[in-house]
Parts: sequence; structure tokens; C-alpha cells
Amino acid sequence: MHIFKPSVIVLALSTALFGCQQDTGPQKDKVTIEKNPYPSTYKPHSTSSTLITNATVLTGTGERINDADVYIVDGKISQVGKDLSVTADSTIDAAGKWVTPGIIDNHSHLGAYPSPGVESHQDGNEMINPNTAQVWVEHSVWPQDPGFNRAREGGITSLQILPGSANLFGGRAVTLKNVPSETMQGMKFPKAPYGLKMACGENPKRVYGGQGVAPKTRMGNMAGYREAWIEAAEYKRAWEQYEAEYAAGMNPDAPHRDIKLDTLRGVLDGEILIHNHCYKAEEMAMMIDLSKEFGYHAGTFHHGVEAYKIAELLGENGNCAALWPDWWGFKMEAYDMSLENVAIVDAAKNSCAVIHSDSDTTIQRLNHEAAKVMYSANEAGFDIKEEHAIKWITYNAAKSLGVEELTGSIAAGKQADVVIWDQSPFSVYSKAEKVFIDGAKVYDRHDSKYQAVSDFMLGQR
Amino acid sequence: MNKFKLSILTGALLSSSAAFAQITAITNATVHTQTNQGVLENATVVIEDGKIKAINPKSVNADITVDASGKILTPGLIGSMNHLGLIEVGAVSRSVDAYDKSGIEFDPSSAFNPRTSLIPYARKGGITQNVSVPSLPWGESGVFMGLAFVADLSGEFDSVTDRRTALIVDLGAVSGDASRGSAMQSFVKKLADQKKKLTSKKDKKKDKDPSSEEKLLTQVLRGELPVVAYASRASQLLELVALKEQYGLNLIISGGDDAVLVKEQLAKAEVPVIVSAVSNLPSGFDALHAHLGNAGELEKAGVKVILNVAGDGSHNVYQMRFDAGIAVANGMTHDGALKAMTSNVADAFGIEGGKIAVGSRADVVLWTADPFEFSTRIDQVWINGESVTTESRHDKLRERYTTDSNMPHGYTK
Repeated sequence: MHIFKPSVIVLALSTALFGCQQDTGPQKDKVTIEKNPYPSTYKPHSTSSTLITNATVLTGTGERINDADVYIVDGKISQVGKDLSVTADSTIDAAGKWVTPGIIDNHSHLGAYPSPGVESHQDGNEMINPNTAQVWVEHSVWPQDPGFNRAREGGITSLQILPGSANLFGGRAVTLKNVPSETMQGMKFPKAPYGLKMACGENPKRVYGGQGVAPKTRMGNMAGYREAWIEAAEYKRAWEQYEAEYAAGMNPDAPHRDIKLDTLRGVLDGEILIHNHCYKAEEMAMMIDLSKEFGYHAGTFHHGVEAYKIAELLGENGNCAALWPDWWGFKMEAYDMSLENVAIVDAAKNSCAVIHSDSDTTIQRLNHEAAKVMYSANEAGFDIKEEHAIKWITYNAAKSLGVEELTGSIAAGKQADVVIWDQSPFSVYSKAEKVFIDGAKVYDRHDSKYQAVSDFMLGQR
Repeated sequence: MNKFKLSILTGALLSSSAAFAQITAITNATVHTQTNQGVLENATVVIEDGKIKAINPKSVNADITVDASGKILTPGLIGSMNHLGLIEVGAVSRSVDAYDKSGIEFDPSSAFNPRTSLIPYARKGGITQNVSVPSLPWGESGVFMGLAFVADLSGEFDSVTDRRTALIVDLGAVSGDASRGSAMQSFVKKLADQKKKLTSKKDKKKDKDPSSEEKLLTQVLRGELPVVAYASRASQLLELVALKEQYGLNLIISGGDDAVLVKEQLAKAEVPVIVSAVSNLPSGFDALHAHLGNAGELEKAGVKVILNVAGDGSHNVYQMRFDAGIAVANGMTHDGALKAMTSNVADAFGIEGGKIAVGSRADVVLWTADPFEFSTRIDQVWINGESVTTESRHDKLRERYTTDSNMPHGYTK
């Protein structure tokens, strides 16, 4: 595995050695790293006010309010409650309908593995080295993927796009608002932290071990992570020393810039959140220890088919677990599935259970995925209600992405990402009728004006 | 927390006690017969010797009476076009017997494993029979995939109920340096050559015995062996309709994302179409018309629709009933969606089951309410007249990790 080339180490060391001997003449320009070189250009465009009345409202934070109103002003939730006496530019009578926060999928490959799934569109997995922390999946996102529109029709208002899972470090993930746009930047969720995709288990060792390259085993996986974090810690130290010396008026040479290590350092600095493809109980437990060894948080475990075996540990360590209700059996590490996985993880103290899709199909019905779990679990003796289960695809998903202060719940001050459902979203027959992002209507099942069509689909017959 | 479920225990006990011929009466049920009797309210269905013995008899002397008041009885659902029984873990090659390149005569039925963990799991979705199919190995392309077979989901060693059920051919999009034109050509050539042999045969005295492949093709040409063709592009579907007429094929289309474009022709030619109710993305240039409303549109046009589960339909066939609900939410009739998982499958493949009629296989499922709803649970499943459990190892895992014990979980069994 190619990590920190020797020449770079020498450079870093020599910087450290000679740092204190730099001349004290006029300082060179300080070298700074632009942390947001591809900034969001998304602008919420709603300045009008909307009042949704008489709905069954699930707030996303565990509450259900019957016959409630939701008042949206300037793209934000202004009030939620019964019989609000406010005036609005438009009023929607939602009697008999249900209102939830916009649905959030924290595991999608839309845009990076878009439809049509042709050779030219396989942009989700840089399978050339077990550590490709240098790639940013946002650079692969094709905003015209028709899947974004299908997902919006299913109530998805925000989603995280992740690179694939072939590599120990797959690259940076990006969180998007699910709005039609010509550019990735036009979808990028302002102020959402970046994620870093990591992968445990069978995929990395199969992809690389099969080529006679490390990792070939699970112990090889662990060695690969540890070597990379050691290198990242050294990189962080070198930059911090540079910055400290510069601040002290010295004239040090900046360390050599490495975009792979920029990302790993971002994790060590607490600015980038870990999203770890990891199925098995013993592996998740080791990834938690690994994070403690190097001083970062292990973040969200994705897929976690065996998360129910270590539910207490995940809660204690504050890890979210983003899970499928029922996918299983495609690999050994996905063999020990339980239909109640999400519910068992959720029942632990301080839990953060999330339902994710990892699919361009089920992303369209995460409400159904939550329903499957809720009813299976209740049959097995749990007592989970709709107002609680909705958290798995709203507030908890937002928390996993570090945006729970901004979206994922219907509460005053939150972004008005809202779905109106024609009935309980926990019915198999339910459909999203209207979808709002930052207060702007982005989908209406009964008005073609609000039904976006991808460039790719335009004029096809 | 006590999350143990009593009904699972009850199911397990019942399954082990049904060894000798008993008469079971399911009473007061709402029965979806999937025959021209339609839906019967407060009906009694009597099961004996693996068959439906009577419906609404004047009197019944049953060993077991199941009061199904407020519940719904349907035929067992029939999965199709997956590898159930031929696969345990996808990435464990020695547990997979579905992929082979032996071609037209490949019959995987002897590799069927009735003890696979996928079978009790599939029963959770009310699946009682399944049409399992072979595929080509990953990365291989070819026209002839081999032969489908049918097994019930009893988990018994005699559960393969029909072998050589259909010939599976792939005429869809091909990658690499190949053309769907040549795929179609090689299919037509096989048919034409065999037809020629059959018609010219009578002139020759010294006929050899036909080879097994020739026998198989003769069955195809007589319409005795259904041919399932994977194809999606509308123009190709029309070509297949023409082939059906020319050669008298018993043709079934699988895939058919663009079948809505030629739905009238498919209906007129009586070609059943197997679709996934959730396929609505343009996965390729043959699928630009994939839409959640397609199953309903095909039904409305008079096409016999069969639902199957897309993706890993072997491990996930249990969720077929939910797919049916999605089809209904998008325009299919409720009865049509149930047919698409029962009688339509049985009719298309020429197999027993898929309906509740006197004399038919007693594969029935009792549901607490609408079979398509998430909130509905299975009350009981009978396969071949015997009550079977829906408990799988997944339940054992849940129980192990939700049972309080002062010993390590490994001791909770």
C-alpha cells in the first residue's frame, strides 16, 4: 500500500528540524488549505408563506399531533400546532393526510451510479487502491440522474451520496438537497459536513487480495486503516507545527500538500464524519477501538447487518447505525440478518437507528422500509408507533449526517423540508403527494408543473 | 423485555403434528378463491390428504378446526424467476448451484436444497411454491440458460413438484462484441432446424432416436414446454410475438420494461408478462418506459401479468406481497395483483396450485387482514395440506439477542 512516500516524510521531518532555524525576515505568504473549493451554489428560493392545515403531523422527534397545522415562512418552519391563527400566501387543506419531515437517505449512490447503468456511468468506486481518501464523490455526481426525480417523488428531500465500498478508504461523501439542478454545486447542502467512506470486511479483501495486493484478510484491513491513520496524524502534526511557527512570526516552509491526507486529517480534526460500511458485530467493535486509538469518532456504521448483536455498545459510543430492514444473504457477512435489527438497535440507550437504502429503488419508499421494521418488531413484542419509527428516516438520518440542527424535524426554525402523504406513510398504498424543500414546492403528484423530468428522459419515446 | 412470540411456537408445534392424514377445516374465512367463484365470505375450506376437499360443505367432521373469523384466506403465493433452493449465500460459490453454462438442457432441479434457510424465510411472505430458474455464470452471455423447475416450500425432501417446467432464453441487451440480432438468430435457428426435422422425418425410414435436445425442442414446438424469454425492447417483443405464432410457442416474457408500448399485441397473442412492480428506472435503453404504473396498464390491456421480485429475488421473495401493494397503489386491481402471484403463475407455467378449488393443491395462507399491507401478519400457512412454521433462523437470532440472561448469548438457544 502506498502511503506517505519516504520523500514526503523526509520533507516533513526537515521542515520540523529546520523550522526553528528559519530567518526572521519578512514572512512569506502563509500557505492555507481551502477547505471548501467546490462550494454550494444552492439557494432556497421560497419567500412565500404556506399553511398546511388539519394534518396528522409526525414531527420527526417522536411526537404525533393530530389535526395539526404547519406554518412555513421564508423557507423555514415557523409554527406547528393545532388551530394556528396565521395568514399565509397559500393554504393547503390536508385533512385526512399525513405530514412528515422530508425523508433523508444517508446512503445513496445516485448520480455516481446513475440510470441508465451503462459502462460510461460507473463513477462510484475508484477501485485502484485500497486507500483512495483523495477522491470526492461529488466530482462524479451527474445531476441529471433520473433517480433523483424518482426519489423526490418518494419524499426524499436530502441525501448523502457515498463512494463505493471496495476500498478501506473510499473517499469523501457529499450531502445534497434533492432539487433539480444542472450542477452538483446547485444541489449541495449548504453547511453540511463532509463524510468519509470507509469499508470493513469482505469487499476490500476480495477486491485487493484477489489481485495479490494488501489487504487480503480482515487483519490486513485493520493494518491498512492503522497505517493510514498514523500517516494522517503525522500530516496533521506537521501542518499544525507549520501554523504555530508561522503564527509565532517564523518563516517555516509549508508541508507538502496531500489531498488524501487532507481528508484523513479532516476526520482527526472533527470536521469530516465517518461513514463506515461494516456488517459484522466484531468488526464494528474493532472500528470503535480503532477510532479511539487515533482520536476520532467512529461515526455511522452502514449496513450493519449484525448491529443488533452490539446494540448497547453502539449506543454507549454514540454511533448511528444505518441499516436495511431485510437485505441479507448475498455475502457471508450479511447472513445473520434479523428483521428486527433496526428496532433492537433503536431500543438501546442513546441509540441512533437509521434506515438507509443503498438503492435507487428503495430510496423511493424509505417510509415503506420503516413500516416493515415497525410491524415486524411489533409482532415480535415491541411497541413502536409511527411517530417514533419516522425518526429512523428523518431526524436520526439528519443526525448521522451532522445536519439535525438544520433539517430532519418539523420544529420552529428548521428548514421547511416537508412531505404531505395521501395517508399514513406506513401503509403500502401510501404515496407522497406534495414535497417541499426549504419551503418551495418541488413535487406535486397532481400537478405536472411540479414534476421534474431529467434531460436524459426528455423527448425519449 | 419479553419479545418472544407465542404464535411462532404454536406454528412450530402444528407443523410437527400433521404427519398423518387429518381433516382440517378453516371456518368463517374470507376466501379469495382465484377461480370464477371469486371471493367467498364466511366460508369454510376443508383440507384432506394435501388437497382442498370441500368448500362450504353442508357439514364437516374435522380433526382440526381453525376459526378464521375476520381473516383472509388466499392461495399460497408462487415466486418465480429466482434461484430459491439453488443458493444459500450469493458470494459463497460452493453454496450456489444456479449458474452454469451447459446450455439448453441444463436442469438444475437435482441441486435443489429443500433445507436452505431461504425457504422458511420465504414462507414469512406467504410463498408456498416457487419457479426456480438457472442463469449463466457472471460475465457470460448466451441465449440458452436451461430449464426451470417448481418446488413447494414445505422444506421436505420431496418438495420438487415439477421438473423441466420451462425453457429459459435470454434475448435481451448484450454487452461486449455481440448483437441481440445474433441472439435472436440462434434461437430461431434452433426452432427452425427442429421443425424441419419433424416435418421431413416421415419420409425417412432409418430415423435415429431423437437426441434429448431434439426431444426438448419438439416439446417447445408443440407448446408443451413454455419458453420464458428475457426481453424488454418493444420491437423485440413484437418479434417474439411473431415467433410464437410461427412456431406455436407457449411464450412468456420476463422483464418487459417497455412492454406497455405493445401491450395490445401482447394481450391479443396471449403472452403472459413477468414484471417487477417496483421497476421504474431507465436501467438501460430498453427500459425507458419503466414505470410503477406498468403492471396495472398491462392488466388493463388484458395481459396476463405475473409479479416477481427484482434484484435478489431469491433471498427477498418474501416481500412479493408488498410489491403487489405498490402495484395496486399505482393502478393494478387488488384481485389482479393477487392473481399475478397465484393463478396467473400457475396457469402460465402449467403447474398445480394458485387457486382454492375443490381438488386443487392445499397450499393456502391465512392472513390477519389485507395480504398486501405491512400491518398484516400471517396467521397460518398450509403447504400440501400441512400446517408449516414461518419461523426461520432469523427469529432465533432475534430471540438470542433480546433475551436477558446472566450467561453469554452463545448459551441462549
